[in-house]
Amino acid sequence: MEKIDKIIFGDNQFFGINHMSQEKAQQLSEKFFNIENIYKVYDIAFANGIQAVMLNSNDRAREICDYFRNHKSQYGHLSWYPSIPYPHKYANMVNEKGIFPAINDVLFKNNTALGVLGMVAKGGMAVLNKDAIELMKMLVDVEAKIYKGLNVKVIFLQNIIVDLLLGYDFKDVFYEYCEYIRKKYHAIPGLITQNLPFLKKKLEEWQIEEVVICSSINKIGYLMSPDVPTYVETINNNHSDKYQLMAMSTLASGAIRAKDAYEFINSLNLQSVVFGASSEKNIQETVSLINIK
Amino acid sequence: MNKIKLGIIGMGRMGITHYSIINSHPDVEIVSVADTSKMILDILKKYVPDLQVFKDYKELIDASKPDAIIVCTPPNLHYEVCNYACEHDIHVFCEKPFTANIEQAKELKEKFAAKSLINQVGYVNRFNDIFMTVKKYINEGLIGNIVRFRSEMFTCTVTKKEETESWRSFRENGGGAVYEIAAHAIDLVDYLIGKPDKIVGTSMNQIYSKHVEDIVSSTFVYNNGTSGTLYVNWCDTSYRKPANKLELFGIKGKILADQHGLKIFLNADDLQTGYKKGWNTVYITDVFTSVDFYVRGNEFTRQLYYFADSILKKESGNKCDFSAGYDAQYVMNQLFVDSESNKLN
Repeated sequence: MEKIDKIIFGDNQFFGINHMSQEKAQQLSEKFFNIENIYKVYDIAFANGIQAVMLNSNDRAREICDYFRNHKSQYGHLSWYPSIPYPHKYANMVNEKGIFPAINDVLFKNNTALGVLGMVAKGGMAVLNKDAIELMKMLVDVEAKIYKGLNVKVIFLQNIIVDLLLGYDFKDVFYEYCEYIRKKYHAIPGLITQNLPFLKKKLEEWQIEEVVICSSINKIGYLMSPDVPTYVETINNNHSDKYQLMAMSTLASGAIRAKDAYEFINSLNLQSVVFGASSEKNIQETVSLINIK
Repeated sequence: MNKIKLGIIGMGRMGITHYSIINSHPDVEIVSVADTSKMILDILKKYVPDLQVFKDYKELIDASKPDAIIVCTPPNLHYEVCNYACEHDIHVFCEKPFTANIEQAKELKEKFAAKSLINQVGYVNRFNDIFMTVKKYINEGLIGNIVRFRSEMFTCTVTKKEETESWRSFRENGGGAVYEIAAHAIDLVDYLIGKPDKIVGTSMNQIYSKHVEDIVSSTFVYNNGTSGTLYVNWCDTSYRKPANKLELFGIKGKILADQHGLKIFLNADDLQTGYKKGWNTVYITDVFTSVDFYVRGNEFTRQLYYFADSILKKESGNKCDFSAGYDAQYVMNQLFVDSESNKLN
């Protein structure tokens, strides 16, 4: 498995996401309403040596991807770590219409360019009947197309989907997702989870290997199920040729001081860290503190 | 009892989530699901071969003989499903709102209590780390007697005119901002302050919905002199995620809380908690406790594990039982009655 970047620049700070404070999230969302301000922060991150970007397929990701594609001479060396899908888009549609009508809309209504018209002609949803795998592949295509032409290293499935499917014990869906990402996108399959020990145990049992697992990892155990000791044991007994592990939420939404947070992170057998920050000072500080092997 | 044999009735959005969560409980075995959608049953059957699937909830109960069920049908069907389960001595977790009719809520509450079956309603805020902390502080008297409160909830659930109609479009079926959204803000008041003695000044607005309300506000009055207001809007696009907001004003201080944190203002230092006079901020990261399996928030796991553990007699089962479901239903019913009487023409 190709080695992933040790430091990856995340995107929550740009899109009004802060798990701790709605107010803080709102301030940032105002600041980054002007997309030029997002590009300025990316340039600061790149100037500090970061060469990898994690970007969720939200409403604004398309524009950001266009920008980086259009400036390939300047940014062509970057590695991309998309995460799909953008969960809130689906959540709102599902609330309004129900699950299958929402999926139907996503796949068929506004995606004539995808060539799914043929599917509609064949009978639309009837084609997908009983085959969740085909459905999954089509949804991946819809979400992943905005990253086309960028140097995509890993395609992550968001934790809301991963953990939901994990609860169902759906081996086939995990297996097929990973194969599909490898074969169609020539990328490493990535899974985001809040249940790292359980997911890793399951992947081993299912013999699904060469996967990147991204999970909240912080010393206070925030968004880490079941607990910190189980995480530490799982991480330190991991073979990185089978599973590369990436830490997110390392500061637990700001509850931990950066120095303490990364002392903990650096002590673990981790391959990568994704973090988001919007000031030069915080970016510099974080980059200097991350020292994973 | 070895493993709890569990059935899930209604595999919409909540049923799908609950399945994943409760399937992780070591003492629970999901034996059956029922739904009217053949597509979802076919998919489940394909990937979970041992699962029994049914188009009718009665068949599920008769044929798969579960010890317990989770009910996630549209709310107007809750009554008949719960009633049938009660007749067959089955423990029930029922999604909110409890029913779409106050008499039915009362009847179910009484029937389940008489049979000493575990019964729980899905008012998930009672299992949220922050609101549990607020409850603890109120009980300990941190802000003294509460004189005044505000309970608000905002979501961006309905943001344009409906293209198609579903159960959510009609109040008789359990649709509308009161049943779907305000129910949570009301239950929080019931949980933290108590059921109001009188409801006045209720008004409702429609923006996009044809048959149901989109916004509701009201005033709750208590015999002991406490009063508070409710304000709920499910068309508020400034909120990316659903937000519950609570303000409690007591004689010794004030608490502002949402699902993610709380701010406490105290008139004097509090020795027991260590909070200082003036503002104190408590983040979710200060008070959370982990759950064994996470899908969409600790509270969702905690409420279902509580249900299972109550059946196993490891928990008392009374944290959010059908009487809580009835109380919220009573308040919602009063809101409808009061808002009718306040209409100008």
